[in-house]
Amino acid sequence: MFTRMGVMHGILSAFTCLMLFAGGARVSAEETKPPVAVASESVLQAPAAASAPKIDTGDTTWVLVSTAMVLAMTAPGLALFYGGMVRSKNALGTIMQSFILLCLISVQWVLWGYSLAFGPDKGHIIGGLEWLGLNGVGLDPNADYAATIPHQAFMAFQMMFAVITPALITGAFAERMRFSTFLVFSLLWATFIYDPLAHWVWAVGGWLRDFGALDFAGGTVVHISSGASALACALVMRTRLGYGKEHMAPHNLPMTVLGAALLWFGWFGFNAGSAVASGALATSAFVVTNTATAAAGLAWMIAEWVHRGKPTVLGAASGAVAGLVAITPASGFVGPMASILIGIGAGVLCYMAVMLKAKLGYDDSLDVVGIHGVGGTWGALATGIFASKAINAAGADGLLYGNPGQVMIQAGAVLVSIGFAFIGTFIILKVLDKTMGLCVSEGEERMGLDLSQHEERAYS
Amino acid sequence: MRIVHRARWILSPRSFAGIWYLMIGLAWLSPAWAQEGAGKIDTGDTAWVLTSSALVLAMTMPGLALFYGGLVRSKNVLGTLVQTLAILALVSLIWVVFGYSLAFGPDVGGVIGNLDWILLSGVGFTPHAVYGATIPHQAFMVFQLMFAAITPALFTGAFAERMKFSALLLFSGLWAVVVYCPLAHWIWGGGWLAKFGALDFAGGAVVHISSGAAALVCAYVVGARKGYGTEYLAPHNLPMTVLGAGLLWFGWFGFNAGSALGANANAVSAFVATHIAAVTATLVWIIVEWQHRGKPTVLGAATGAVAGLATVTPASGYIGVGAAIAIGIAAGIACYFGIVVKGKIGYDDALDVVGVHGVGGLLGILSVGLFASKGINAAGADGLLYGNPGQLWVQFVTAMVTAAFSVVVSYVLLKVVDATVGLRVSTEEEMTGVDLSQHNERAYS
Repeated sequence: MFTRMGVMHGILSAFTCLMLFAGGARVSAEETKPPVAVASESVLQAPAAASAPKIDTGDTTWVLVSTAMVLAMTAPGLALFYGGMVRSKNALGTIMQSFILLCLISVQWVLWGYSLAFGPDKGHIIGGLEWLGLNGVGLDPNADYAATIPHQAFMAFQMMFAVITPALITGAFAERMRFSTFLVFSLLWATFIYDPLAHWVWAVGGWLRDFGALDFAGGTVVHISSGASALACALVMRTRLGYGKEHMAPHNLPMTVLGAALLWFGWFGFNAGSAVASGALATSAFVVTNTATAAAGLAWMIAEWVHRGKPTVLGAASGAVAGLVAITPASGFVGPMASILIGIGAGVLCYMAVMLKAKLGYDDSLDVVGIHGVGGTWGALATGIFASKAINAAGADGLLYGNPGQVMIQAGAVLVSIGFAFIGTFIILKVLDKTMGLCVSEGEERMGLDLSQHEERAYS
Repeated sequence: MRIVHRARWILSPRSFAGIWYLMIGLAWLSPAWAQEGAGKIDTGDTAWVLTSSALVLAMTMPGLALFYGGLVRSKNVLGTLVQTLAILALVSLIWVVFGYSLAFGPDVGGVIGNLDWILLSGVGFTPHAVYGATIPHQAFMVFQLMFAAITPALFTGAFAERMKFSALLLFSGLWAVVVYCPLAHWIWGGGWLAKFGALDFAGGAVVHISSGAAALVCAYVVGARKGYGTEYLAPHNLPMTVLGAGLLWFGWFGFNAGSALGANANAVSAFVATHIAAVTATLVWIIVEWQHRGKPTVLGAATGAVAGLATVTPASGYIGVGAAIAIGIAAGIACYFGIVVKGKIGYDDALDVVGVHGVGGLLGILSVGLFASKGINAAGADGLLYGNPGQLWVQFVTAMVTAAFSVVVSYVLLKVVDATVGLRVSTEEEMTGVDLSQHNERAYS
């Protein structure tokens, strides 16, 4: 059993070690540099600078703006989207989960997350620790990732992805998770699930990238991983008290609509920013993102209208988010007409998945599995169908352009991501359940997370 | 009976499958659009236009939705929010399928674009010489998409709290095609008003006069809310409205400064003029209301800001700071009294679309004829104050033509929709509120 002082002491000493290590790494890197190399570098500086990648102001502007837009997706976007869907006694607790992840994972990312995910490859599995504490991650472009923007711009852009992914999972255990356990869970999840997965799919040398899997902006890394982990959470953790018996109505749907709209807005940064440059590819991703979202919002609305008699506002907002999720992996590889199909597919499939949940009985409170898991899977497979080298020469052709193998590659990447995220999350949860306890007590749950975990009321 | 049957077929799973296979065919047939390399794309200009497109989206959702959502009663807030959301989705699809081609495609007799660009065929990444010579053509297309989406969303304020959701979808979809696309073509797509010399930098006529005029017709044809004039129909959440106004202001920088289609001096000039007109109109509205009614209201300040933004829109790229202040003053006064007059005439333009966007747009289009200066924008024209009274006449004609076209066609469309699906919810449904009666949901619990 941890005492509070013990935990604080542990955190502080870990932090001190890291500082020493990061500082030491920098010193050693300078020390071990052979003097000859320094000399030759300085000799070569002038011609090297001429041919070295140059920072483009337009590209950098776009990536920085996109980074801020993805921040707006997490807080306020996602925080309000989820916050409006819970009961009023849990509104602050739900908003806090997204907000504090923005702080927690940002720190994790600059200390070790970025290095694990994008640092020099070790055996195609994980990044090395060379970039710990952003050591060596400076303002010169890194040609492997983005040749025309400062390396730190790419790092910060990726940081926002690392932040939003665990925030997406919070919808699965809304209204019942202990705040302290939640913090430890998120830190472990970011380190042991997100960072490796990001490395496999996006980093130079990552094995899924070498395998040929296409994921433009995070269908597998962000959405399938959070969706599969959400399923593990919903299965391992108990349901909310009264689930299935009481009607747990969303306390503030306008707040949810506001959140969905901010997600839509920020998602342009998420997808079009993933071109890591301004220009034709960013424009293409922007256009298909908007088109798929519109199609999915309408498709969900029509499906619900036909199936249940009325088009709900929560449905239209959820449909739009499902469309955004589904187009994410495909956004840099497909054209506008394909994006309409991807959107229609997302609206209908995710609607069916959310309807199915009620029959299966697990309590994925805010439908992370149905929207991110199913939407992400559909999007990753659809990328294998609709991708075209005419849109992005750096991509691949999909099934419709004569390359059925791409669908199999995408399916492989989907299965690996689901399996890895589900099993890894399951293990983390079991360990935390034994050591810290996952859920609040029944009394605390009745009282609400706002009062029991944070000693505040949202409205008065 | 037959129409009903056909409507059911459209909503049936079989038709979904049909549409699905049709679309797959289209996706496969669609040629490669990405012909890169011919024109020269500037990364900074493209970044600004993409950013501006996202900003204009934020004006519609969440900006306008919250601005209107806070003004209605709590039983109608979801119904109000979803009107804007549904229009954004619907018009986005219409635009990429054929709307953009009608508005900006190759000109047919100065009246409409042809169908060459249907399904965005031929609309790729090579810059179009007229529509932004340094940005991908699709960036211009998506920027314009956001304008097409917000315009019908603006007039939803006129029939708030009483329109059927199905009627809203049908009417705004038709309106986008039959009113917006031709108007955008006449003024921005090389149509007859453009040839006539009309200047409308960011949409005073195309967006604000057209939606304001349509709102007037809607208020008359749909009729007043139950209890209008007798009960006090108080806004249920004014902080939501203020948040919406704040987001509109934020997004309007994309609307106006983005209309320069590049990160250049013209964009900066429009950005500054937009802001100065908005602050001036806010202050003027506060002062006028204080004098006229005794207290400055928060709703008044927010409405004044929107009035200033709407009014400066057509002029923003052609004027300096002095003119922006003058426009802001005029907007604050004229729009305030536009709303006061409404109370006397008695039509129920529920959220004051006519007073703000109609009056503001009209004033703005005329102000271009006064204040426009080639010293600010060489691609524009000089106005009356710079020795060219003819421009004021051109602007006057543009405003009248736009208003008349929108009034007449909106009236016809409303009658058609009324005859097919019916415009209004029943009295009982109106009493229950559109949230429950149209969407089976409650906003708050």
